Amino acid sequence: MIRDITLGQYYPGSSWIHKLDARIKIIWTFVYIVSLFLIKDFWGFVTVLITLTLFISNSKVPLNFILKGLKPIFLIIIFTFVINMFMTKGTPIIEIGFLTITKEGLRNAFFMGTRLTLLIIGSSLLTLVTKPVTLTDGIEKLLSPGQKIGLPSHELAMMMTIALRFIPTLLEETDKIMKAQMARGADFESGNIMKRAKSLIPLLVPLFISAFRIAQDLAMAMESRCYRGGGHRTRMHGMRLEKRDGAAIFLMVLYLVIIITQAQGIFTLLPGIIH
Amino acid sequence: MRNTKYLLQAAAIAAVYAVLTIGLMPFSYGFMQIRVSEALTILPCLTPAAIPGLFVGCLVANMVSPYGMLDMIVGSSATLIAAVGSYLLRNRPILVPLPPIIANGVLVGGMLYYAYAVPIPLFACILWVSLGEFIACYVIGYPLLQYLKRYKKIFELH
Amino acid sequence: MQIQVKNLNYIYSEGMPYESIALTDISFEIKKGEFVGIIGHTGSGKSTLIQHLNGLLKPKSGSILIDGTDIAEKNVKMHDIRRKIGLVFQYPEYQLFEETVHKDVAFGPLNLGLTQEEADERVKKAIIMVGLNYEEIAERSPFELSGGQKRRVAIAGVIAMEPEILILDEPTAGLDPKAHQDILRMVEKIHSLTSNTIILVSHNMGDISKLSDKVLVLDRGRLVLDGTPADVFCQADYLESLGLGLPPSAYLMRELKKRGVPVSDNILNIEGAEEELYRILSKPI
Repeated sequence: MIRDITLGQYYPGSSWIHKLDARIKIIWTFVYIVSLFLIKDFWGFVTVLITLTLFISNSKVPLNFILKGLKPIFLIIIFTFVINMFMTKGTPIIEIGFLTITKEGLRNAFFMGTRLTLLIIGSSLLTLVTKPVTLTDGIEKLLSPGQKIGLPSHELAMMMTIALRFIPTLLEETDKIMKAQMARGADFESGNIMKRAKSLIPLLVPLFISAFRIAQDLAMAMESRCYRGGGHRTRMHGMRLEKRDGAAIFLMVLYLVIIITQAQGIFTLLPGIIH
Repeated sequence: MRNTKYLLQAAAIAAVYAVLTIGLMPFSYGFMQIRVSEALTILPCLTPAAIPGLFVGCLVANMVSPYGMLDMIVGSSATLIAAVGSYLLRNRPILVPLPPIIANGVLVGGMLYYAYAVPIPLFACILWVSLGEFIACYVIGYPLLQYLKRYKKIFELH
Repeated sequence: MQIQVKNLNYIYSEGMPYESIALTDISFEIKKGEFVGIIGHTGSGKSTLIQHLNGLLKPKSGSILIDGTDIAEKNVKMHDIRRKIGLVFQYPEYQLFEETVHKDVAFGPLNLGLTQEEADERVKKAIIMVGLNYEEIAERSPFELSGGQKRRVAIAGVIAMEPEILILDEPTAGLDPKAHQDILRMVEKIHSLTSNTIILVSHNMGDISKLSDKVLVLDRGRLVLDGTPADVFCQADYLESLGLGLPPSAYLMRELKKRGVPVSDNILNIEGAEEELYRILSKPI
């Protein structure tokens, strides 16, 4: 049950986008998300869709892998769609019992639904083509200027890396503890919210204690290998920007320009100008 | 206080948070915000390592699954602010679950309203998230705190 | 027949790319009150099999009949299964969570629906049965105890449910030799006092050969041997080919045999070896 969760969405590959520097990919994802909220009409989505398609096809991640990972989220997308469709006020088109579908509702539903879908697929692309450890390194590097103002970026990155390493172990522990308590008659599945909440204590307390026990052992192991914290540690693989990263930055700027000008309505003026 | 034990306590908390969030999806992301992992927000009452720990846990939980970078940024910020608040209230255990309820309510509720465009009024979004947080933090978290208080030994940092 | 397993099949992570066959076509029977040992190298499916016996896992195909009821059926209540079949996992001390030892041991009985008084009775009995002093230990936090004590408390937690069938997965894992013997003696005592059915999964051939009425040998998800300790352990070469060992006394006998000493094949424990050596040595040469 719990064991069947595939960790991280990373799909191995050696495409251009896989090899991009993690920092660039993180910044791109930010830009992407921001851009989605600048878009005012469906033409903007066309640009996004084209860009997304280019990236996905480059990554060689199979489409059904992406969609399968998104299955649980589809519920939310559909929910958003439906809610917008039925609850937006405006000029009615269809009436079904006490539910009304308005013109604005329909437009909103499609707009919000599309935006949400593109948002999710786009941001999941980051974790699809970047290993969690590489991602952590990228975050650490991006945050490292913050060390000057007291932000402990190395420590944070270290916590992230160790946490990532612990997750599979703890998932197994959780499974074991659940089974052991179920063998003693614990029931995690039935009952109302209050009852189910209370039933989690026999799971959470041992899990916690296990996690801390493992942490203590690891702390001792690290210290006995002279770990003393951030500062002067060296890396095994450095992070260097390559030519492809420069190309990615260029594309990002181009993308941003197109999105912003589209949002200002310049492209819709074009047919007028050509005319 | 940046010693190795502190670091590892934080990492352990982060890992448990992530495991609880991942293990119970999709109820932990997007519209449904009843994260059992939020019961851990009582931890700043027991150790300051929980402040970065919960923050990193939230980041990692969002990294390891595809459900939205937005959740990652907004949710993690809310968690961080809440953890600081809980730490400051650590001498009044009954109040410790309040900061996460407020911080998540406002920030995540706001995210749902503006970003996910749920067309119900803003305050309804905030209320909805706060309700989920309330259940996680008081109903699960508070009893959890009572249990864990007895094992203060494992939270020592020297 | 208390337990009947027929053609049990189980696949891990079915449908996922990394699915793997865990159990193939397993069938065996266990009589009420028997002491059964399950042996097999790591990964042979022992844990998977026992988790089927108390309903934690559901088979892909096959049936598991407990007192005539197939627990693999959909409408079987978990409660009733847990009442009958207790399972002590490996390193059970990691499941302790309550504030006091008494409360933790009471967790199982209370889950079964007993009243607080009934549960308290059971807790007392169970703690005594695992060889601990009730007055001394009942109000202490489980986390203050030593490793061996914690383990006994964990086992008490399952015994307090008074299951007719008690399954123990390597109850002596990680313990020093003395604690190992103590726990084993405890298991024997429980068996003789309550006449329940015991299923013991272990890597220790000496223990298995000494205590079991019946031994099941698993290899890569299949049941390859099923019989009395004498039947099973006399197949020394086969067992070794499976990566399993023999009871220590059997090794001694085998070595002696290799050097021409006419000892019998069927020696499974120290007492038997002692007798056999006396017999050989008192014969005129």
